[in-house]
Amino acid sequence: MITINCRNLACPAPVITVKKALEEQTDLRVLLDDGAPRENVSRFARNRGCQVCEEQDGDGWALTITKGEQTPKPAAGGTSGERVVLITSDRLGDGPEELGRLLMRNFIHTLLETSDLPARMLFLNTGVFLTTEGSEVLEALEKLAGMGVEILSCGLCLDFFKLKDKLKAGATTNMLMIAESLLSAGQTIRL
Amino acid sequence: MEKRLMVQEGHVLAVFNSGHRVMKAEGILKALGLPVLLIPAPRQLQTDCGLALRFSEDVREEVMQALEREELLPAFVSTYRGGLFVTTWVNETDAPHIT
Repeated sequence: MITINCRNLACPAPVITVKKALEEQTDLRVLLDDGAPRENVSRFARNRGCQVCEEQDGDGWALTITKGEQTPKPAAGGTSGERVVLITSDRLGDGPEELGRLLMRNFIHTLLETSDLPARMLFLNTGVFLTTEGSEVLEALEKLAGMGVEILSCGLCLDFFKLKDKLKAGATTNMLMIAESLLSAGQTIRL
Repeated sequence: MEKRLMVQEGHVLAVFNSGHRVMKAEGILKALGLPVLLIPAPRQLQTDCGLALRFSEDVREEVMQALEREELLPAFVSTYRGGLFVTTWVNETDAPHIT
């Protein structure tokens, strides 16, 4: 069993590291700081159907995570089976701009209260206004990232709107990764 | 309460009965530099429009004064304490929206 050291990593790095490791391993041991890192990783793993065994390790924790039978297996046809949400605008719907922005904010906030979170949220075009400075949903996106949702913004779009240095949630991605993610996803929801 | 959710211990929610009023209130309070966030109203709070303004206790007085000045007082105000929403102010001039 491999051991991953996630001590001193800021959220959401611990969850993302464990998530990636679980794509390759059926079990692993991860070292975490006390507090949010341990709670977030534990919750994330349990939500994926994994068994989690927590042991205190000095002033931190050592979690042993074992994949359970309920862990989603890749669907037939080579897809990852993951749910991906594609956000191509900072508003939902074609009506009044104010209403559209409000609906999108509400949607992202409401996602926090659902149990079946997407694996990934991809932000394109004016969708990048939601992940950059001034966005009203940064707090919600940070919480979603802490729960294992990958937040990714298109680099070309960030550059177009001159927001490359204003990214506040998640990471930058490129069209190849976006295309591969959409083609391999089990389900894509486009907003 | 789960740390992942948007309302935490000590947060104050101003709940409105109209989407237009809450959006107008948000604009005015933000222009005054007050740290408010417009969020869906939690299910436990009965609301007409399903929206609320969230802020912390330390700006409560300033927020309420601004809303009163602009004639945009909410339907009621609740504070999240110990896992429960405690209503701390009700707009007497409105028809009751909470039971």
